[in-house]
Parts: sequence; structure tokens; C-alpha cells
Amino acid sequence: MKRYMNRHPLWSLIFVAAGFVLIWLIFAIWPPELIDLIGKKKVFVNALFNGITLGGLYFLVASGFTLIFGLMRNVNLAHGSLYLLGGYIGYEVSDLTGSWVLAFPVAFIAVGLVGMLLQVLVFRHLDGQDLQQTLITIGISIVVADVLLWIWGGDFYQILAPDFLSGPVETFIQTGVKRSSGEPIFLKYPAVRLAILFAATVIGVGMWLILNRTRIGMYVRAGVDDREMLAASGVRVQLIFVCVFGFGAGLAGLAGVVGGTFQSIAPGEDMRFLLSSLVVVIVGGMGSIPGAALGAVLVGLAEQFGSVYMPTYSVVLTFLIMVLVLAFRPKGLMGRG
Amino acid sequence: MAQSDMNTSDTTRPDRSARLGGLIRQIPTRVWVVGFFLLLVPSFTGGFVQYQIFGWAFVLGLIALSLMFLGGYGGMVSLVQMTVAAVAGYSVAIFGTSGVSEISMGWPWYVAVIMAIVMGTLFCVATGALAVRTEGIYTIMITLAIASAFFYFTRQNYTVFNGFTGFNRVLPPPVFGIDWRAPTPFYYLSLFCAAAGYFAVLYVSRSPFGLVLQGVRDNPRRMAALGYSVNAHRIAAYAFSGVLASIGGILLVWSNGQISPGTASIGPVIDILVIAVIGGINRPIGAFIGALVYVLLRTYSLDFLEALNLSGERFKLLVGLGFLIIVYWSPDGICGLWERFGPKLKPRSARGREPGREPGREPGREPGREPEGGNDA
Amino acid sequence: MMLDPPQKGDEIGNEYALELKGVSKQFGALNALSDINIRIKPGERRAVLGSNGAGKTTLFNCITGDFPPSAGKVLFFGEDVTEFPAHERIRRGLRRTYQISLLFNGLSVHDNVYLACRGVSRGRFSLRRPHPGDALVQAADGLIAIANLENVRDVMVSDLSYGQQRQLEIALALAGAPRLVLLDEPAAGLSPSERKELISILNRLPEHMGYVIIEHDMDVALRVADRVTMMHNGRIFKEGTPQEIENDPEVQALYLGGGHE
Repeated sequence: MKRYMNRHPLWSLIFVAAGFVLIWLIFAIWPPELIDLIGKKKVFVNALFNGITLGGLYFLVASGFTLIFGLMRNVNLAHGSLYLLGGYIGYEVSDLTGSWVLAFPVAFIAVGLVGMLLQVLVFRHLDGQDLQQTLITIGISIVVADVLLWIWGGDFYQILAPDFLSGPVETFIQTGVKRSSGEPIFLKYPAVRLAILFAATVIGVGMWLILNRTRIGMYVRAGVDDREMLAASGVRVQLIFVCVFGFGAGLAGLAGVVGGTFQSIAPGEDMRFLLSSLVVVIVGGMGSIPGAALGAVLVGLAEQFGSVYMPTYSVVLTFLIMVLVLAFRPKGLMGRG
Repeated sequence: MAQSDMNTSDTTRPDRSARLGGLIRQIPTRVWVVGFFLLLVPSFTGGFVQYQIFGWAFVLGLIALSLMFLGGYGGMVSLVQMTVAAVAGYSVAIFGTSGVSEISMGWPWYVAVIMAIVMGTLFCVATGALAVRTEGIYTIMITLAIASAFFYFTRQNYTVFNGFTGFNRVLPPPVFGIDWRAPTPFYYLSLFCAAAGYFAVLYVSRSPFGLVLQGVRDNPRRMAALGYSVNAHRIAAYAFSGVLASIGGILLVWSNGQISPGTASIGPVIDILVIAVIGGINRPIGAFIGALVYVLLRTYSLDFLEALNLSGERFKLLVGLGFLIIVYWSPDGICGLWERFGPKLKPRSARGREPGREPGREPGREPGREPEGGNDA
Repeated sequence: MMLDPPQKGDEIGNEYALELKGVSKQFGALNALSDINIRIKPGERRAVLGSNGAGKTTLFNCITGDFPPSAGKVLFFGEDVTEFPAHERIRRGLRRTYQISLLFNGLSVHDNVYLACRGVSRGRFSLRRPHPGDALVQAADGLIAIANLENVRDVMVSDLSYGQQRQLEIALALAGAPRLVLLDEPAAGLSPSERKELISILNRLPEHMGYVIIEHDMDVALRVADRVTMMHNGRIFKEGTPQEIENDPEVQALYLGGGHE
């Protein structure tokens, strides 16, 4: 951080200034001129919150994707299918048992096992052949998409959140003043989304801690930096690969339950989430967990603000971010080099 | 690689006609046989086979050929080719005539076609310019992201792309008073374009540019050390493939009579890769073989699946499984299978010309990784 | 930084074929090169000696632009090429060979040399196929003759002997009009007779063509170089004529001593 500030003082200044403006936009009561210019504060803050929670969901999907790529150089284009599978499993579990909480571990473990199986049965034999691996994952995504369609059909499924999370909660952010009484109005926000954001943050920080503070995390990071060195160090590389693939796939399955709760599960969602993962990872930098977090929030915000303030061109905004990053930092914002 | 074509020692400089004669003599017998067969197909088949099987296969094959050129000779597996085709198709509808008269400009068909090729090629070059800034496997990701961005954009945008509905009644012009959408004329039109594209790819691959491109694929660092701008050659390859895909896109929109975001949704975008890989991504002919297999499967799998008591919707499953089997066991596609198990007709001379066959480069391996590359990350 | 004593040509500014000013390269925490200053005159033949890991190949990579230095400047005939991509430097007359042969195995010797000739000429995007009368084809044949490879002109590179591949590497580096050639251990792994052939090829090069050669073998280095630079742990350790270096006690202790166990 300090090094960055020394190297790019201008950019650091801009970032800090933008941060202050953002904080002011969130906490201040907006003057009427500003409301005339860009609309109500409620809309803005809602878009901001929605963008960040959506970013949380994207992070859950993309962090597994980027971890798998970083360590194994495997561009897992079936990652979206794992997400969708997790969503369906989560739906069935919560539908059968009535327990929303139970859906998470079951989806995580089941999809994680699928990922481990893929690594053991298929990708282990194709180590180092990036293109062939990628083509295989494309084939898998085609097959899985059709099998899921076969089993669950083309309907939309929604996983119901438990009662204690279903309503909105009142936050401490004031959006305006009641005209009649002069009492402040506070922003109401769906509790389930806050829970998701909280969970994504916990998982993100947890992953960062595991990667930076534990032995296995050290191996994984070493492998991301230099695979030959990891192989030469006598670690059981294949075991680590299987674990990481299982963990990354499990995260995708977990994200499926999350997505099924606050959006819905249907055919086609696999591709949507694969694509958002691609953009997140291209923007953030391949193989970097903080990069995935940054990219996910950026993409989530771009989507939400785009759909609020420029509805016909919201895709363009996301795409523009990607193009700009590719043009100026081909390895992503947090990518090395 | 094209080692025999560069052999320049044994002859003195021949005059132009003798060179042309030499070029024609270089065409192997089997190409003549296949060529004559294809010319005669309309004499013994009905309109359905000419239009729905062969016509479609030629068009898809041409688009897959543009991917094969990038992937096989350039080592860049681009998923944007169907999108390039769609850009050209949209351009024909926008600049020419269509059922959506509020948007279509109604320019003469030849201007619209030229504009379509220009727009498609520009789009392909712009994508390439972004994609070549990164190495190897990133290409797939970036091109897939760009392709899907285009799909979502066309679905949202009504002022230029007419949103979800797209353009209908985009018809080929009645040049020479012929209805080019009638089965036999369309068959010959698409056959002509496919054959022209095929021979153009063969020719370019053996030209100095093609040779340099293959050098860039196998060893980019060395090529830079020989004075070649690696990225400029890669972008030029995108431009050439963009022309091929654009022609394919124009034919596609003419044969369908309409274009909409679905033309280049994620499914068709990936189908082009499937076609090129099933046929054999290291050979120009593989694109057309793959396209024919794909079209046959698509057309007749319904009966086959119903015979197995499955619904016809399981077509995707069939394609996906077939694709997996091919990728896993025969990275060189059907062409590779043919070479391995087919009749051994002059195997040596046939092999020398194909790209990606030189010793030390295993098929399907990710190109662009050099042995010394460990420390330049 | 201490300045070298003024030499003739300093006032002209472009007297040096190659000038490195404070070049450093870090890989992560590793300082592969630190503060390298080298000046090479046009036509000079310079040997770079040093043990494994001394930073010799990294130095070459920084000069040719295979990867850029972390700090410092690279001047080629007075022009600052530090920010140039590799191919731009090659087009200005810089050439290199690689320690590990990076040749096109699927092509014949002639096609390899032809590619090298085309790389430094116009028409890199040409679609016209080459014919025997073409200037480039003949230029390629000329280089094949210089590298003593006439008898294997149409042999695939994968079928060449190791020594012939090393000779071909040199032929590729001589394409066009090189002004300075960087040779990365061309003698490594060669038999004594192949070594002799290599030395004769180098000694027959036209006088205006300078080169920098990385060499482990002191004997070879002393026979092909005017000046010698010793590198150690990413720094320049000693510089001088071959005799000075050979007789320097520090060099003997550090480097030559290893050979006399």
C-alpha cells in the first residue's frame, strides 16, 4: 500500500478523494440540487448496496474459479455448471428438510465431491495441456447443462429464505426526512442480502487467512507462483490439486444456494455466472483472491448502477471496464506483471 | 508444417503459367474427387439435403474455418468467430434491406456486403488487438467474454440492433435473376464461398506470412528475436479470419432470412468451437468435416434419440458427449482418427503439409509456451 | 556511481555500439542484476564470463528486450532502446542466439534461415511464396555457407546434430545487417572439433561486426574476444583484456581456481 502510494501519488489521491465522496454520498442528506441531477438518494444507496451484495455473490463463484486457474492453469469453463448444480441440490435439500441452513453444507460437499472426481478422473491425466483441459470443461458444461435440464426442466426455482431473514431490516443510513413530521427516514434493506454479504466477507477473509497463514495455503500460493518449484519440493501436488479443485467447486455450489435464494435457479444461469466469473477474473487478475474480490465488487456495482442509471446499456458498462483493464493492465488490476 | 513448399533449390524461376500449372498439379487426387462429387451433389439429392444439410454445413464450416485458421496456425483459440459472423450479418441487415425498414438503410446489396465484411473484420481485429495482449489460454476467456457481451448488448439495444426480435426478411439480392435462397443456387453459392475460403486458407498458410504465423505459434519469443512483431502478426491473423467469418455470417443471415441475438448467443458461439475441434482443429478440411457431422447430428439425431426412447431435446447431450470423447481420445478430431485408423494412402506426403504435425509438438498441446519461459513471468 | 575515465568518442555520444547505464533486474526478491554499466565499441568482440547464476543470460535478455530491466538504460548506437519491444531492437541491428536452441524443428535449415532473413527485411506479411531467384532466398544461402551448413541445407532441423543446431543458431543471428550479435554460450556442449569450427566461424566474421559472447570455457573466450567482462552474483566483477583477466589473482581465485581441483 505504502509502495503504491509512493509510486502513484496522483492515483492514490484520486482514490482517497473518491472514497471520501462516496462516504459523503452515503451518509449525508443530499441537497436538492444533487437530487435534481441524479435522482433520489434512496435509489443511489440501494444500487450501491445491491451492487455490493451482487459482488459478494460473484466473489463466491469467481474466487473458486480463480483459485483453480491460478494453481492448475485449468480454465474451468464448467464452473457455471457447478454453480447451477449447487443451486438445484440446495433447492432439493431445503425443500425436503425445510432447513435453509442445511442446504449450504450439503451443496458445498456434494459439488465439492463432483469437483474432486473431475480432478481425479479427468484433469489429472491432462496435466499441463491447458487447451485440452479447457475444451474438456466446455464439453462437461454442455453435458451437465443438458442433464440438469433433463432432471429439473426449464422452470425457475427459488430457495426460500428462513423467516428470520425474510423481511427487510432498517439500517442506520438516513435517506431523507419525512415531510409531515420531520422525522428522519432510514433505508430499509432485505435482511437476507445483508446475511449474504456478511457470509461472502467471512468466506473471503477466511480464504485469505488460510492462504496466507497456514501451511497448505503456503503450498497453494507457492504453486500459483511457480508450479515446478512446488512439484520439486516434494509436496504431494496431486493431493493439493484435488483439495483445491474440490474447495473451488464447493464454493461454486455454495454460491448456487446463495444465488437461488436471492435470485433464482434456472437453465442459462450457469452461463451467466460463468461469464460474470470470467469478467471478474479478467478484471481482478488471474489467480488472485483479493483481485477476485475487487473485480466482483466492481462488476456488481457496474451492473447495478448500469441498470439503474443507464438501463439499455448496463452490459456496456461492465464490458467497458473489462476492455479498459485489458487495454491498460492486461494481467488484471491485481495481476502480477 | 509446410516444409516441402518452401523448398526452392531444385528449380529455376518458372514463368507465371507454369507456376499456375504447378499449383494445380499440387492439388492431390482426392481433392479433385471430392470436388467433382460436391459439384454433382444437386443432381441426385433433393432440396432439403442441398439446403439444410450441405448449404448449412458449408456456412458453418466457413465460420469454423476462420477459427481453425486462428487456432491451428496461430495458436489462438478464439470464441468470437460466430460473433464476427453475426456482426457481418447484422451489418447486411442494417445497411441493406430487411423487414425492419425503420432501421435498415436500404443501400445497394454490394455496398451492404462490402460494409458487412468491413464491419465484421474490424470487430475481429479489435477483439484480436485486446486478446493478443495476453498469452495462450486467456484468449478463450477474453473472446468468450466479448462474445457474450455482444450477445447481451444486441438483446438490450433497440436503436441499432432492434433488440430481442432482430431483423427479419434479410434476403439475398436477385442477382442474374436467380433466387439465391432456392436450394440449388444456395448450394452452389455456399459451396463456392466455402471452397474459396478453404483454398485461401491453404494458400495463406504456405505463404511467408503463414509460415511466420506458425513460427509465432510455436515459438513467439524466438520470432521476436528474429525481428518479427509477434502481436502484429497475430492481429493480422485475426483480420484474415475476420474476413472468412464475415462471409460466413452474410451467408448465414441470407440462408436463415433473419438475424437476432440468438444467432450469436453462447450456444452457437461454442458450437463453432465444437465443430472445429470435432473435425480437427489443425486442418482446414476439419472445419467442414466437423460442420457436416454437426449438421447431420442436429438433423437426424431426433430419430436416433427417439429410437432410444429419449426425447429429441437430448441432442445437446449427444453433441456434448461426442465432443468429450473426441477431445479426450483424439485431440486431432475426426481427421486424426482417420489418420490413425483409416486407409493408409500415402501417409507421408499427406502429412507433411498439415500444420501442427512436426515432431515435438503434440497435438492439442497449448502452444506458445517455450522451454525457457519459467522466469519471465 | 563512479564515472569511467573519459575515453575518445565520449563527446560524439554515439561512439558505443552498446551502452548499459545502471541496469538492474529483480525477480521478486532476487537481484539478478545490480547496477550493470558496460560500454562496447562498434566492432568490438567482448566475452562475458562468470559462473552459473552470475546473471549473464539475464543480462542478454535485458539487452534484447526479452524482458525489460527493472531499472537503468540500454543504449544501442546512442539510441535509448530501453522501452523498445524486442523486434524493434532486432530491426536496428541487434541479434542474439539462445543458450537452449530455439529453432523451428519442423522446418528445414534453409527455411529457418529464410525466416530469419525475412524478419529483418520488408514484406514480413507477404503472401507471395518465395522463389529461388529471390534476394532473400539467396541471402539465406549465403548465411548457410558462412555457418558451414551447405551439406544439410534441406535437412529438417530435428534431424541435425547438436553441433549443427548450434551453428544454425549463429546463422539465424547473422541474418540481415547485424551490427552487434549476442552469443549465449554457443560453445556449450560441443565436441573439440565442433568447437574449433565455431571459433573459425567467429574469427571469419567481418571486422565491423561486433559481438558479445557468453562463454564458460576460458580458452575459447580468450581466442575470440578483445576484451573480457567477468560477472559475479549479478554484478560486474572485473573488466579488461583477456591477458589481464587471465592473470588477475582475484579472478583466478574465484573462477579459474574451480577448474584445478
